[in-house]
Amino acid sequence: MAGARGERGPGPAAGEPQPQPQQPDACRVFPERPAQGKPPQGGLLSRFFPSDQKCQLMLLKTLETNPYVKLLLDAMEHSGCAVNRERHFSCEDCSGNVSGGFDASTSQIVLCQNNIRNQAHMSRVVTHELIHAFDHCRAHVDWFTNVRHLACSEVRAANLSGDCSLVNEIFRLHFGLKQHHQTCVRDRAILSILAVRNISKEVARKAVDEVFESCFNDHEPFGRIPHNKTYARYAHRDFQNRDRYYSNI
Amino acid sequence: MADGGDWRPPRPCEAYRAEWELCRSAGHFLHHYYVHGERPACEQWRRDLASCRAWEERRSAGAQRSLCESERARVEAARKHALVWAPRQSPPADWQLPLPQEEKDQ
Repeated sequence: MAGARGERGPGPAAGEPQPQPQQPDACRVFPERPAQGKPPQGGLLSRFFPSDQKCQLMLLKTLETNPYVKLLLDAMEHSGCAVNRERHFSCEDCSGNVSGGFDASTSQIVLCQNNIRNQAHMSRVVTHELIHAFDHCRAHVDWFTNVRHLACSEVRAANLSGDCSLVNEIFRLHFGLKQHHQTCVRDRAILSILAVRNISKEVARKAVDEVFESCFNDHEPFGRIPHNKTYARYAHRDFQNRDRYYSNI
Repeated sequence: MADGGDWRPPRPCEAYRAEWELCRSAGHFLHHYYVHGERPACEQWRRDLASCRAWEERRSAGAQRSLCESERARVEAARKHALVWAPRQSPPADWQLPLPQEEKDQ
């Protein structure tokens, strides 16, 4: 699973930075996930009394109302990767402090229902993971063997999802103002990489440094860094207007 | 750039006004400083808004040129960084395939 913290399978992208070893430990983080290639398990009772009902309800609200997510869903559909809630999202219990992840091997976003605190957190995790999914859809991202590719997607996800907003950093007791956003993006990208790759912090930092200039300035599909919902709505408006835009410049 | 009578501003004039207002807001100053460490530059949005209105009022050719140049510069600025990965020509083939459990059920 590629992406922000919350990894499963051979190379997830993690949703919330948390160091994780490679596949065997990723399996421990996502105990409900089967080993790669095996079908997920589930009893008859779970079909009638889903333990993930709260997670599913929050997810549904996010998909229907959050402007970051609505833009990402439109952009993915435009790129040929229409997102289906039942197919592409899975609410599961995860070990540790992981919030979610993107599994490129199954094209599925995992939401760690035991670690997602509230609706706002759900929206941010879904945004983060959809950015990984968007990258997977539009580019040949080598999640599993190219740490620079993983670093790039993690930089983008930390930059564009609201992970590094001033408010979120203050809640983490990380106080800084001038260009602190970039420091946060670098740090969280490194942590996300370490969560899914058994590499040294120095190697992860080097990968982030090499790709940072390019990937920090890659704002697709937003066209800007969406600092809050107003920016996300403006970005969505611009995306919906793109035909008129490109035909008149 | 589309020529002749089919051309219209790349964005509605209201969009230029909204971007200029957002750029000038205290909130945006804070966000921009937090990200870039400097104050934002909003003058180009004001010029684009003026050009848009000039074109709407009197179909000014100069305003059309100015708007096109401004927007092309924005597009160029967004594309100037080399990509880390190769873009796809088509989406992943397995994006919509059923999960292994679904295949087993079928």
